[in-house]
Amino acid sequence: MTLLSNPWIHGLVVGTPVLLVFLAASALASWWERKFAGRMQNRLGPTIVGPFGILQPFADALKMMQKEDIVPRAADRALFNLAPVFPLALALAVLAVVPFGGSWAGDEWSSALVVADLDIGVIWVLAVSGLMVFPTWMAGWASSNKYTLLAGMRSVAQGVSYEIPLVLAAMVPVVATGELSLSGIVAWQAEHGWLVFWPPGPGLFAFVIFFMASLAEANRIPFDIPEAESELVAGVLVEYTGLKFGLFMLAEYTHTIAASVIASVLFLGGAHGPMPEIFGPMWLVLKASTLFVIIYWIRWSWYRFRSDQLMDLCWRYLVPITLVLVMITAIMRGFLPGGAS
Amino acid sequence: MIGTIALSALGALMIACGIAVVRARDLVHAVFWLAAMLIATAGLFVVLEAPFLAGIQIVLYTGGVITLMLFGVMLTHRDLDAAIPNPVAHELRAGITAAALAGALLLGIWSTDWGAAKPAATVSVAQIGAHLLGPQLLAFELLSVLLLIAMIGAIALARRTDP
Repeated sequence: MTLLSNPWIHGLVVGTPVLLVFLAASALASWWERKFAGRMQNRLGPTIVGPFGILQPFADALKMMQKEDIVPRAADRALFNLAPVFPLALALAVLAVVPFGGSWAGDEWSSALVVADLDIGVIWVLAVSGLMVFPTWMAGWASSNKYTLLAGMRSVAQGVSYEIPLVLAAMVPVVATGELSLSGIVAWQAEHGWLVFWPPGPGLFAFVIFFMASLAEANRIPFDIPEAESELVAGVLVEYTGLKFGLFMLAEYTHTIAASVIASVLFLGGAHGPMPEIFGPMWLVLKASTLFVIIYWIRWSWYRFRSDQLMDLCWRYLVPITLVLVMITAIMRGFLPGGAS
Repeated sequence: MIGTIALSALGALMIACGIAVVRARDLVHAVFWLAAMLIATAGLFVVLEAPFLAGIQIVLYTGGVITLMLFGVMLTHRDLDAAIPNPVAHELRAGITAAALAGALLLGIWSTDWGAAKPAATVSVAQIGAHLLGPQLLAFELLSVLLLIAMIGAIALARRTDP
């Protein structure tokens, strides 16, 4: 136990399984999405490789390894090769502060299953997700291709705009609970009720807006403007081949999973559920998976917004609404249990 | 011990990135080197046990300032073939300025009695918040009004339609 209290060793012991589980989950998610999309379009999806085609991700990985690694002559070689590394690293870094389970007494945790229980968990999440636009832009710029450049510009514009409702919506749990650490927010919800229901009103709206802004940050339909294959070929990924392309694709799934996990932790009570605390991780997986399914459900049944409609939605509706939500929450906090300090 | 090593390593990294920023021949490279330097600065705050400052450093500087620079880069034309002259144009004047600044800093470091300095207490985010909204309330509100003015000014400039 004393060995585990060293932050380095603790990070290694808890971090390694978290890393492996989420990488495996991202690979599995690619199989699941193809299966899901297939069923929605009255097809079967992958069936050949393994039972139900479940080994398809491995086949994909093998295929990508064999592809020729092409760097366009006009490309900025250093940035072109550097860009694929970051999306996956950043998406995984977000998960470092997520409490996957643990036990609590009242609104204090006696122990938490978390890689690094930072006091500033929410700020860490927002800071890291704010950096996500850079690799996309880097890839778009370094490819020296007009499609990729356009996609990179759009992704920065979109990322910067949706960052604001994302941050403001995340402030609603922070203001309501008076906690900046994710484990503190979960413990508060275990004590007083999930934030999506309580405080009634702002919590629910903030959850919906946070979810929308996360979709925009993760470039999912209806907000996948940077990729927009019908107008920009494949967005910033046009020039990428082989494993570099694979890294981007894997990171997309990891990013979506991370967004689902964060939304569940902030608004849906995270690891809190009706059964004993040992089942905590199960509840978190269940909640995050539900959000994940909804994201792909939207993806395969909805259309993409135009770039200017996207900006309209963000600046003319989401930003003012979230500002009002934060104000209402601040006023309500005076009347909430455990508030008014 | 680990703290000293980490501080030295981060310091060396920051200096290296800083040199890379001014020596870079490509504007975009310079911007990303600057981003690396700002993240290393955040690392410095982490080692000094000020995680809140580190987070804000990343949100504001890396997230905000670098994005602003990327917008600037996107609005400029990229010269693919033209050899960009070394941006260090005023070496003498820059050297004098840098030497003066370094001298002032070194003087400050040498003239401080470090033995008498007390280790700073770790300050929690809640304490920072209470301080900002308590004793510093006036300054805090003045700053927010200033930011609001800047924002309205930016919108007014952007909406101006005259030629």
